[in-house]
Amino acid sequence: MRQTPLYDRHVAHGGRIFDFHGWALPVQFKGIIDEHQHTRSAVSIFDCSHMGEFHIRGAEACRGLNYLISTDLGGLKVGRARYGAMLSPRANIVDDVISMRLGEDHIYLVCNAATLPVVAAYLDVHVPGNDNVSSQTAKIDVQGPQAAGAMAAVGLDAALQLKYFQVTETAWNGVHCIVSRTGYTGELGWEVFLPPKAAPALWDALLQCEGVEPAGLGARDTLRTEMGYPLSGQDFDFQHSPLESGQESFVHWDHDFLARDVLEAQRADNTHRQLIGIRTGSRRSPRHGFVVHDGDRQVGIVTSGTFGPSVGEGIGLARVNPDVAVNGKALTVGPRRIPVESCGPPFYTGGSCRMKLE
Amino acid sequence: MLPKDCRFTKDHEWIRQDGDVYTVGITAFAAEQLGDVTYVELPETGAGADAHGELATVESVKAASDVYAPVAGTVAEVNSALEEKPELVNESPFGDGWFFKLSDVDVSQYESLMDADAYDNFLGEHAE
Repeated sequence: MRQTPLYDRHVAHGGRIFDFHGWALPVQFKGIIDEHQHTRSAVSIFDCSHMGEFHIRGAEACRGLNYLISTDLGGLKVGRARYGAMLSPRANIVDDVISMRLGEDHIYLVCNAATLPVVAAYLDVHVPGNDNVSSQTAKIDVQGPQAAGAMAAVGLDAALQLKYFQVTETAWNGVHCIVSRTGYTGELGWEVFLPPKAAPALWDALLQCEGVEPAGLGARDTLRTEMGYPLSGQDFDFQHSPLESGQESFVHWDHDFLARDVLEAQRADNTHRQLIGIRTGSRRSPRHGFVVHDGDRQVGIVTSGTFGPSVGEGIGLARVNPDVAVNGKALTVGPRRIPVESCGPPFYTGGSCRMKLE
Repeated sequence: MLPKDCRFTKDHEWIRQDGDVYTVGITAFAAEQLGDVTYVELPETGAGADAHGELATVESVKAASDVYAPVAGTVAEVNSALEEKPELVNESPFGDGWFFKLSDVDVSQYESLMDADAYDNFLGEHAE
Protein backbone atom coordinates (compact mmCIF):
# COMPACT_ATOMS: atom_id res chain seq x y z
CA MET A 1 0.00 0.00 0.00
CA ARG A 2 1.15 3.54 -0.69
CA GLN A 3 1.63 5.84 2.25
CA THR A 4 0.85 9.53 2.42
CA PRO A 5 3.36 11.91 4.07
CA LEU A 6 1.10 11.81 7.15
CA TYR A 7 1.07 8.02 7.57
CA ASP A 8 3.34 8.05 10.63
CA ARG A 9 1.06 10.63 12.28
CA HIS A 10 -1.98 8.43 11.75
CA VAL A 11 -0.29 5.38 13.25
CA ALA A 12 1.02 7.39 16.21
CA HIS A 13 -2.47 8.81 16.78
CA GLY A 14 -4.01 5.34 16.99
CA GLY A 15 -5.60 5.41 13.55
CA ARG A 16 -7.03 2.16 12.27
CA ILE A 17 -5.35 1.83 8.90
CA PHE A 18 -7.09 0.26 5.91
CA ASP A 19 -6.54 -0.10 2.20
CA PHE A 20 -8.33 2.67 0.32
CA HIS A 21 -7.72 2.04 -3.38
CA GLY A 22 -4.12 1.07 -2.70
CA TRP A 23 -3.47 3.78 -0.10
CA ALA A 24 -2.87 3.10 3.59
CA LEU A 25 -5.25 5.57 5.23
CA PRO A 26 -7.04 5.81 8.59
CA VAL A 27 -10.68 4.74 8.60
CA GLN A 28 -11.06 6.03 12.16
CA PHE A 29 -9.19 7.21 15.24
CA LYS A 30 -11.50 7.38 18.30
CA GLY A 31 -14.58 6.24 16.44
CA ILE A 32 -16.62 7.23 13.42
CA ILE A 33 -19.55 8.75 15.31
CA ASP A 34 -17.28 10.71 17.63
CA GLU A 35 -15.28 12.10 14.70
CA HIS A 36 -18.46 12.84 12.77
CA GLN A 37 -20.00 14.81 15.65
CA HIS A 38 -16.73 16.61 16.25
CA THR A 39 -16.67 17.78 12.62
CA ARG A 40 -20.25 19.05 12.90
CA SER A 41 -19.54 20.92 16.14
CA ALA A 42 -15.83 21.90 16.20
CA VAL A 43 -13.14 21.20 13.60
CA SER A 44 -11.55 18.06 12.17
CA ILE A 45 -8.58 17.58 9.89
CA PHE A 46 -8.56 14.91 7.19
CA ASP A 47 -5.60 13.57 5.22
CA CYS A 48 -6.64 13.55 1.57
CA SER A 49 -3.14 13.38 0.12
CA HIS A 50 -4.13 10.37 -1.97
CA MET A 51 -6.26 12.51 -4.29
CA GLY A 52 -5.15 13.68 -7.74
CA GLU A 53 -4.18 17.20 -8.87
CA PHE A 54 -3.27 18.70 -12.25
CA HIS A 55 -2.18 22.10 -13.48
CA ILE A 56 -3.81 22.99 -16.81
CA ARG A 57 -1.99 25.96 -18.32
CA GLY A 58 -2.66 27.86 -21.53
CA ALA A 59 -5.83 28.94 -23.31
CA GLU A 60 -5.95 25.91 -25.58
CA ALA A 61 -5.44 23.47 -22.72
CA CYS A 62 -8.17 25.17 -20.68
CA ARG A 63 -10.55 24.86 -23.65
CA GLY A 64 -9.60 21.19 -23.93
CA LEU A 65 -10.45 20.66 -20.28
CA ASN A 66 -13.76 22.47 -20.65
CA TYR A 67 -14.68 20.02 -23.41
CA LEU A 68 -14.22 17.11 -20.96
CA ILE A 69 -16.29 18.58 -18.13
CA SER A 70 -20.09 18.62 -17.80
CA THR A 71 -20.12 22.11 -16.31
CA ASP A 72 -19.04 25.14 -18.34
CA LEU A 73 -15.75 26.56 -17.09
CA GLY A 74 -15.90 29.37 -19.65
CA GLY A 75 -17.59 31.77 -17.26
CA LEU A 76 -15.57 30.66 -14.26
CA LYS A 77 -13.77 33.70 -12.86
CA VAL A 78 -10.23 33.72 -11.52
CA GLY A 79 -10.31 32.69 -7.87
CA ARG A 80 -13.39 30.52 -8.20
CA ALA A 81 -13.93 26.77 -8.19
CA ARG A 82 -16.59 24.69 -9.90
CA TYR A 83 -17.76 21.12 -9.42
CA GLY A 84 -18.47 18.95 -12.45
CA ALA A 85 -18.22 15.53 -14.02
CA MET A 86 -15.58 14.35 -16.46
CA LEU A 87 -17.45 12.34 -19.09
CA SER A 88 -16.58 9.41 -21.35
CA PRO A 89 -17.58 9.22 -25.03
CA ARG A 90 -20.64 7.25 -23.87
CA ALA A 91 -21.55 10.11 -21.51
CA ASN A 92 -20.72 8.09 -18.43
CA ILE A 93 -18.87 9.58 -15.49
CA VAL A 94 -15.12 9.07 -15.50
CA ASP A 95 -14.85 11.03 -12.26
CA ASP A 96 -16.23 14.02 -10.45
CA VAL A 97 -13.72 16.84 -10.35
CA ILE A 98 -13.31 20.34 -9.04
CA SER A 99 -11.85 22.88 -11.44
CA MET A 100 -10.22 25.88 -9.77
CA ARG A 101 -9.29 28.87 -11.91
CA LEU A 102 -6.00 30.21 -10.59
CA GLY A 103 -5.35 32.50 -13.58
CA GLU A 104 -6.97 33.58 -16.85
CA ASP A 105 -5.41 30.55 -18.57
CA HIS A 106 -4.59 28.41 -15.57
CA ILE A 107 -6.91 25.83 -14.03
CA TYR A 108 -6.08 23.56 -11.11
CA LEU A 109 -7.97 20.28 -11.38
CA VAL A 110 -8.68 17.97 -8.42
CA CYS A 111 -9.85 14.37 -8.88
CA ASN A 112 -10.22 11.16 -6.89
CA ALA A 113 -7.43 8.68 -6.16
CA ALA A 114 -8.90 5.51 -7.66
CA THR A 115 -9.77 7.20 -10.94
CA LEU A 116 -6.54 9.17 -11.26
CA PRO A 117 -4.97 6.95 -13.97
CA VAL A 118 -8.11 7.21 -16.13
CA VAL A 119 -8.45 10.96 -15.60
CA ALA A 120 -4.78 11.33 -16.54
CA ALA A 121 -5.34 9.30 -19.72
CA TYR A 122 -8.32 11.46 -20.75
CA LEU A 123 -6.33 14.62 -20.09
CA ASP A 124 -3.39 13.35 -22.09
CA VAL A 125 -5.68 12.96 -25.10
CA HIS A 126 -7.66 16.19 -24.82
CA VAL A 127 -5.43 18.49 -22.77
CA PRO A 128 -1.87 18.30 -24.11
CA GLY A 129 0.70 19.72 -21.75
CA ASN A 130 -1.34 19.01 -18.62
CA ASP A 131 0.86 18.78 -15.56
CA ASN A 132 0.04 15.89 -13.24
CA VAL A 133 1.32 16.98 -9.82
CA SER A 134 -0.52 14.32 -7.79
CA SER A 135 2.62 12.68 -6.44
CA GLN A 136 4.08 16.06 -5.47
CA THR A 137 0.96 17.23 -3.66
CA ALA A 138 -0.39 16.55 -0.19
CA LYS A 139 -3.86 17.72 0.85
CA ILE A 140 -5.22 18.46 4.28
CA ASP A 141 -8.93 19.22 4.67
CA VAL A 142 -9.80 21.47 7.63
CA GLN A 143 -13.53 21.14 8.22
CA GLY A 144 -15.99 22.27 10.86
CA PRO A 145 -17.84 25.35 12.12
CA GLN A 146 -14.72 26.40 14.08
CA ALA A 147 -12.31 25.85 11.17
CA ALA A 148 -11.68 29.57 10.68
CA GLY A 149 -10.04 29.82 14.09
CA ALA A 150 -7.65 27.00 13.28
CA MET A 151 -6.74 28.44 9.87
CA ALA A 152 -5.99 31.83 11.43
CA ALA A 153 -4.05 30.28 14.28
CA VAL A 154 -1.65 28.45 11.95
CA GLY A 155 -1.15 31.54 9.79
CA LEU A 156 -3.31 30.64 6.80
CA ASP A 157 -5.14 33.95 7.07
CA ALA A 158 -5.60 34.22 3.32
CA ALA A 159 -8.20 31.47 3.63
CA LEU A 160 -10.50 33.69 5.67
CA GLN A 161 -11.05 36.01 2.69
CA LEU A 162 -12.57 33.21 0.63
CA LYS A 163 -16.27 32.63 0.13
CA TYR A 164 -17.72 29.18 -0.55
CA PHE A 165 -16.07 27.68 -3.67
CA GLN A 166 -13.39 30.34 -3.92
CA VAL A 167 -9.68 29.57 -4.15
CA THR A 168 -6.37 31.36 -3.67
CA GLU A 169 -2.65 30.75 -3.75
CA THR A 170 -0.67 31.62 -0.67
CA ALA A 171 2.42 30.65 1.27
CA TRP A 172 2.68 28.73 4.50
CA ASN A 173 5.93 28.24 6.35
CA GLY A 174 7.78 29.42 3.27
CA VAL A 175 6.16 26.98 0.86
CA HIS A 176 3.62 27.64 -1.87
CA CYS A 177 0.17 26.24 -1.26
CA ILE A 178 -3.27 26.40 -2.78
CA VAL A 179 -6.23 26.91 -0.47
CA SER A 180 -9.85 26.46 -1.52
CA ARG A 181 -12.99 26.92 0.51
CA THR A 182 -14.39 23.56 -0.40
CA GLY A 183 -14.86 20.19 1.27
CA TYR A 184 -16.85 17.01 1.48
CA THR A 185 -18.56 17.42 4.84
CA GLY A 186 -21.14 20.19 4.49
CA GLU A 187 -19.30 22.25 7.09
CA LEU A 188 -17.28 25.44 6.88
CA GLY A 189 -13.82 24.49 5.78
CA TRP A 190 -10.89 24.53 3.46
CA GLU A 191 -8.77 22.15 1.46
CA VAL A 192 -5.05 22.96 1.65
CA PHE A 193 -2.82 21.65 -1.16
CA LEU A 194 0.89 21.75 -0.38
CA PRO A 195 4.15 19.90 -1.00
CA PRO A 196 4.37 16.51 0.82
CA LYS A 197 7.45 17.60 2.76
CA ALA A 198 5.53 20.49 4.32
CA ALA A 199 2.41 18.50 5.19
CA PRO A 200 3.51 16.96 8.53
CA ALA A 201 4.39 20.38 9.94
CA LEU A 202 1.01 21.82 8.96
CA TRP A 203 -0.77 18.74 10.35
CA ASP A 204 1.08 19.15 13.66
CA ALA A 205 0.40 22.89 13.77
CA LEU A 206 -3.32 22.34 13.17
CA LEU A 207 -3.47 19.69 15.90
CA GLN A 208 -2.02 22.24 18.33
CA CYS A 209 -5.03 24.51 17.76
CA GLU A 210 -7.95 24.52 20.12
CA GLY A 211 -10.71 22.11 19.19
CA VAL A 212 -8.87 20.37 16.35
CA GLU A 213 -8.97 16.57 16.13
CA PRO A 214 -7.98 14.21 13.31
CA ALA A 215 -10.76 12.34 11.56
CA GLY A 216 -10.67 9.29 9.30
CA LEU A 217 -12.32 8.31 6.07
CA GLY A 218 -15.17 6.62 7.98
CA ALA A 219 -16.44 9.94 9.32
CA ARG A 220 -15.74 11.57 5.96
CA ASP A 221 -18.14 9.04 4.44
CA THR A 222 -20.96 9.52 6.96
CA LEU A 223 -20.59 13.32 6.69
CA ARG A 224 -20.76 13.31 2.90
CA THR A 225 -23.66 10.84 2.85
CA GLU A 226 -25.70 13.10 5.14
CA MET A 227 -25.12 15.86 2.60
CA GLY A 228 -26.08 13.58 -0.31
CA TYR A 229 -22.67 14.07 -1.93
CA PRO A 230 -21.95 11.12 -4.25
CA LEU A 231 -18.87 8.93 -3.88
CA SER A 232 -16.75 8.07 -6.91
CA GLY A 233 -16.94 4.42 -7.91
CA GLN A 234 -19.99 3.88 -5.74
CA ASP A 235 -22.78 6.37 -6.47
CA PHE A 236 -21.42 7.04 -9.94
CA ASP A 237 -18.99 5.14 -12.13
CA PHE A 238 -17.96 4.41 -15.70
CA GLN A 239 -21.31 2.67 -16.29
CA HIS A 240 -23.59 5.58 -15.44
CA SER A 241 -24.25 9.04 -16.79
CA PRO A 242 -24.78 12.24 -14.80
CA LEU A 243 -28.53 11.89 -15.36
CA GLU A 244 -28.41 8.46 -13.71
CA SER A 245 -26.26 9.77 -10.86
CA GLY A 246 -28.19 12.74 -9.52
CA GLN A 247 -25.88 15.12 -11.36
CA GLU A 248 -28.24 16.76 -13.83
CA SER A 249 -27.78 20.17 -12.21
CA PHE A 250 -24.07 19.86 -13.00
CA VAL A 251 -24.68 19.51 -16.71
CA HIS A 252 -24.48 22.83 -18.53
CA TRP A 253 -26.24 21.94 -21.76
CA ASP A 254 -25.35 25.15 -23.57
CA HIS A 255 -21.62 24.47 -23.72
CA ASP A 256 -19.95 21.99 -26.02
CA PHE A 257 -18.70 18.89 -24.23
CA LEU A 258 -17.69 15.36 -25.14
CA ALA A 259 -20.74 13.11 -25.62
CA ARG A 260 -23.24 15.92 -25.25
CA ASP A 261 -25.30 14.37 -28.07
CA VAL A 262 -25.37 11.03 -26.22
CA LEU A 263 -26.51 12.71 -23.03
CA GLU A 264 -29.12 14.78 -24.89
CA ALA A 265 -30.53 11.60 -26.39
CA GLN A 266 -30.72 10.00 -22.95
CA ARG A 267 -32.47 13.07 -21.58
CA ALA A 268 -34.96 13.08 -24.47
CA ASP A 269 -35.64 9.37 -24.07
CA ASN A 270 -36.20 9.94 -20.35
CA THR A 271 -36.34 6.27 -19.30
CA HIS A 272 -33.03 6.22 -17.46
CA ARG A 273 -32.65 5.26 -13.82
CA GLN A 274 -32.23 8.03 -11.28
CA LEU A 275 -30.31 8.45 -8.06
CA ILE A 276 -32.55 9.20 -5.08
CA GLY A 277 -32.13 9.60 -1.35
CA ILE A 278 -33.60 7.01 1.00
CA ARG A 279 -34.20 7.15 4.74
CA THR A 280 -35.27 4.36 7.05
CA GLY A 281 -36.83 6.46 9.81
CA SER A 282 -35.25 3.97 12.22
CA ARG A 283 -31.81 2.99 13.47
CA ARG A 284 -31.53 0.35 10.75
CA SER A 285 -29.30 1.27 7.83
CA PRO A 286 -29.46 0.59 4.13
CA ARG A 287 -26.20 -0.87 2.80
CA HIS A 288 -24.29 -0.58 -0.46
CA GLY A 289 -25.54 -3.29 -2.83
CA PHE A 290 -28.96 -3.82 -1.22
CA VAL A 291 -31.69 -4.44 -3.79
CA VAL A 292 -34.54 -1.91 -3.72
CA HIS A 293 -38.11 -3.23 -3.95
CA ASP A 294 -41.42 -1.52 -4.61
CA GLY A 295 -43.76 -4.14 -3.21
CA ASP A 296 -42.55 -7.35 -4.86
CA ARG A 297 -41.03 -5.57 -7.83
CA GLN A 298 -37.26 -5.07 -7.98
CA VAL A 299 -36.73 -1.40 -8.86
CA GLY A 300 -33.11 -0.56 -8.13
CA ILE A 301 -30.02 -0.85 -5.98
CA VAL A 302 -28.58 0.98 -2.99
CA THR A 303 -25.33 2.69 -3.95
CA SER A 304 -24.46 4.14 -0.53
CA GLY A 305 -25.90 3.39 2.87
CA THR A 306 -24.99 4.19 6.43
CA PHE A 307 -26.29 5.31 9.76
CA GLY A 308 -26.41 9.12 9.79
CA PRO A 309 -25.16 10.24 13.21
CA SER A 310 -26.50 13.80 12.88
CA VAL A 311 -29.91 12.75 11.61
CA GLY A 312 -30.23 9.70 13.86
CA GLU A 313 -31.49 7.29 11.25
CA GLY A 314 -30.34 5.07 8.41
CA ILE A 315 -29.80 6.97 5.17
CA GLY A 316 -28.48 6.28 1.72
CA LEU A 317 -28.54 6.81 -2.00
CA ALA A 318 -30.14 4.41 -4.47
CA ARG A 319 -30.33 4.14 -8.24
CA VAL A 320 -33.94 3.30 -9.14
CA ASN A 321 -36.39 3.11 -12.01
CA PRO A 322 -37.80 6.52 -12.91
CA ASP A 323 -41.37 5.65 -11.89
CA VAL A 324 -40.38 5.32 -8.23
CA ALA A 325 -38.00 8.31 -8.24
CA VAL A 326 -40.48 10.57 -6.50
CA ASN A 327 -40.31 12.02 -3.01
CA GLY A 328 -42.17 10.20 -0.27
CA LYS A 329 -42.36 6.85 -2.03
CA ALA A 330 -42.48 3.85 0.33
CA LEU A 331 -39.92 1.22 -0.71
CA THR A 332 -37.94 -1.57 0.95
CA VAL A 333 -34.24 -2.44 0.77
CA GLY A 334 -32.16 -5.53 1.37
CA PRO A 335 -32.92 -9.19 2.08
CA ARG A 336 -34.87 -8.24 5.20
CA ARG A 337 -36.94 -5.67 3.32
CA ILE A 338 -36.12 -2.74 5.56
CA PRO A 339 -38.78 -0.06 4.95
CA VAL A 340 -37.44 3.20 3.52
CA GLU A 341 -38.93 6.39 2.18
CA SER A 342 -37.50 8.15 -0.84
CA CYS A 343 -36.48 11.75 -0.36
CA GLY A 344 -34.31 14.32 -2.05
CA PRO A 345 -30.93 14.69 -0.34
CA PRO A 346 -29.44 16.45 1.59
CA PHE A 347 -30.52 14.59 4.71
CA TYR A 348 -28.71 17.07 6.95
CA THR A 349 -29.41 20.76 6.45
CA GLY A 350 -27.66 22.32 9.44
CA GLY A 351 -24.21 22.50 7.86
CA SER A 352 -22.02 25.58 8.10
CA CYS A 353 -20.34 25.38 4.66
CA ARG A 354 -21.80 28.69 3.46
CA MET A 355 -21.18 30.52 6.73
CA LYS A 356 -20.30 34.20 6.26
CA LEU A 357 -16.99 35.13 7.84
CA GLU A 358 -16.41 38.57 9.36
CA MET B 1 -9.17 -8.65 30.09
CA LEU B 2 -11.31 -11.64 29.11
CA PRO B 3 -13.83 -12.76 31.74
CA LYS B 4 -12.79 -16.15 33.11
CA ASP B 5 -16.38 -17.27 33.77
CA CYS B 6 -17.36 -17.33 30.07
CA ARG B 7 -16.96 -19.63 27.10
CA PHE B 8 -16.27 -18.32 23.60
CA THR B 9 -16.92 -19.13 19.95
CA LYS B 10 -14.84 -18.63 16.83
CA ASP B 11 -17.48 -16.11 15.73
CA HIS B 12 -16.51 -14.01 18.76
CA GLU B 13 -19.61 -14.60 20.86
CA TRP B 14 -19.33 -15.18 24.59
CA ILE B 15 -21.71 -17.26 26.72
CA ARG B 16 -21.94 -17.33 30.53
CA GLN B 17 -23.70 -20.01 32.58
CA ASP B 18 -25.89 -18.97 35.50
CA GLY B 19 -27.78 -22.05 36.67
CA ASP B 20 -30.04 -23.17 33.85
CA VAL B 21 -29.82 -19.86 32.00
CA TYR B 22 -26.98 -18.87 29.67
CA THR B 23 -26.29 -15.22 28.77
CA VAL B 24 -24.85 -14.46 25.31
CA GLY B 25 -23.10 -11.44 23.89
CA ILE B 26 -20.28 -10.51 21.52
CA THR B 27 -16.70 -10.15 22.70
CA ALA B 28 -14.80 -6.91 23.14
CA PHE B 29 -12.75 -7.88 20.11
CA ALA B 30 -15.88 -8.21 17.97
CA ALA B 31 -17.29 -4.92 19.24
CA GLU B 32 -13.99 -3.17 18.54
CA GLN B 33 -13.88 -4.59 15.01
CA LEU B 34 -17.46 -3.49 14.31
CA GLY B 35 -16.91 0.04 15.57
CA ASP B 36 -19.81 2.17 16.79
CA VAL B 37 -22.88 -0.07 17.06
CA THR B 38 -25.98 1.74 15.81
CA TYR B 39 -28.68 -0.94 15.82
CA VAL B 40 -29.29 -4.39 17.27
CA GLU B 41 -32.05 -6.66 16.05
CA LEU B 42 -32.95 -9.11 18.81
CA PRO B 43 -34.83 -12.42 18.56
CA GLU B 44 -38.31 -13.05 19.95
CA THR B 45 -38.50 -14.58 23.40
CA GLY B 46 -39.34 -18.25 23.00
CA ALA B 47 -37.52 -18.59 19.70
CA GLY B 48 -35.53 -21.80 19.37
CA ALA B 49 -32.10 -22.02 17.84
CA ASP B 50 -29.67 -24.72 16.84
CA ALA B 51 -26.02 -24.29 17.67
CA HIS B 52 -24.69 -21.71 15.24
CA GLY B 53 -28.25 -20.66 14.33
CA GLU B 54 -28.65 -17.00 13.50
CA LEU B 55 -30.40 -15.20 16.35
CA ALA B 56 -29.57 -11.51 16.17
CA THR B 57 -28.15 -8.86 13.88
CA VAL B 58 -25.78 -6.13 14.93
CA GLU B 59 -25.26 -3.07 12.77
CA SER B 60 -22.46 -0.56 13.05
CA VAL B 61 -21.98 2.63 11.07
CA LYS B 62 -20.14 0.70 8.38
CA ALA B 63 -21.36 -2.90 8.49
CA ALA B 64 -23.98 -5.42 9.57
CA SER B 65 -23.18 -8.83 11.08
CA ASP B 66 -25.14 -11.79 12.33
CA VAL B 67 -24.94 -13.06 15.89
CA TYR B 68 -25.28 -16.81 16.32
CA ALA B 69 -26.42 -19.03 19.14
CA PRO B 70 -23.21 -20.51 20.59
CA VAL B 71 -25.21 -23.58 21.66
CA ALA B 72 -28.68 -24.90 20.91
CA GLY B 73 -31.38 -23.47 23.16
CA THR B 74 -34.51 -21.41 23.59
CA VAL B 75 -34.47 -17.63 23.94
CA ALA B 76 -35.56 -16.93 27.50
CA GLU B 77 -34.94 -13.19 27.60
CA VAL B 78 -33.55 -10.43 25.40
CA ASN B 79 -31.71 -7.26 26.37
CA SER B 80 -34.30 -4.71 25.30
CA ALA B 81 -32.06 -1.89 26.59
CA LEU B 82 -30.08 -2.31 23.35
CA GLU B 83 -33.02 -1.02 21.32
CA GLU B 84 -32.55 2.46 22.75
CA LYS B 85 -28.88 2.23 23.63
CA PRO B 86 -27.07 0.00 21.11
CA GLU B 87 -23.82 1.71 22.14
CA LEU B 88 -23.89 -0.47 25.28
CA VAL B 89 -22.37 -3.16 23.06
CA ASN B 90 -19.25 -0.99 22.65
CA GLU B 91 -19.24 0.38 26.18
CA SER B 92 -19.76 -2.89 28.03
CA PRO B 93 -19.54 -5.90 25.71
CA PHE B 94 -19.23 -8.46 28.54
CA GLY B 95 -21.73 -6.68 30.84
CA ASP B 96 -24.66 -4.41 30.02
CA GLY B 97 -24.15 -5.03 26.30
CA TRP B 98 -25.37 -8.65 26.45
CA PHE B 99 -27.79 -9.75 23.70
CA PHE B 100 -30.01 -12.60 24.89
CA LYS B 101 -30.34 -15.43 27.39
CA LEU B 102 -30.84 -19.06 26.43
CA SER B 103 -32.53 -21.89 28.34
CA ASP B 104 -32.87 -25.59 27.44
CA VAL B 105 -29.13 -25.76 26.90
CA ASP B 106 -27.13 -28.98 26.89
CA VAL B 107 -24.31 -28.25 29.32
CA SER B 108 -21.92 -30.52 27.42
CA GLN B 109 -22.29 -28.28 24.34
CA TYR B 110 -21.42 -25.32 26.53
CA GLU B 111 -18.39 -27.05 27.98
CA SER B 112 -17.10 -27.97 24.54
CA LEU B 113 -16.60 -24.26 23.70
CA MET B 114 -13.32 -22.42 24.18
CA ASP B 115 -12.49 -21.13 27.63
CA ALA B 116 -10.84 -17.74 28.12
CA ASP B 117 -7.30 -19.04 27.65
CA ALA B 118 -8.21 -20.95 24.50
CA TYR B 119 -10.06 -17.93 23.05
CA ASP B 120 -7.13 -15.70 23.90
CA ASN B 121 -4.85 -18.05 21.94
CA PHE B 122 -7.39 -18.14 19.11
CA LEU B 123 -7.35 -14.33 18.96
CA GLY B 124 -3.57 -14.37 18.91
CA GLU B 125 -3.53 -16.79 15.99
CA HIS B 126 -6.43 -15.45 13.94
CA ALA B 127 -6.85 -11.80 14.73
CA GLU B 128 -5.21 -9.14 12.53
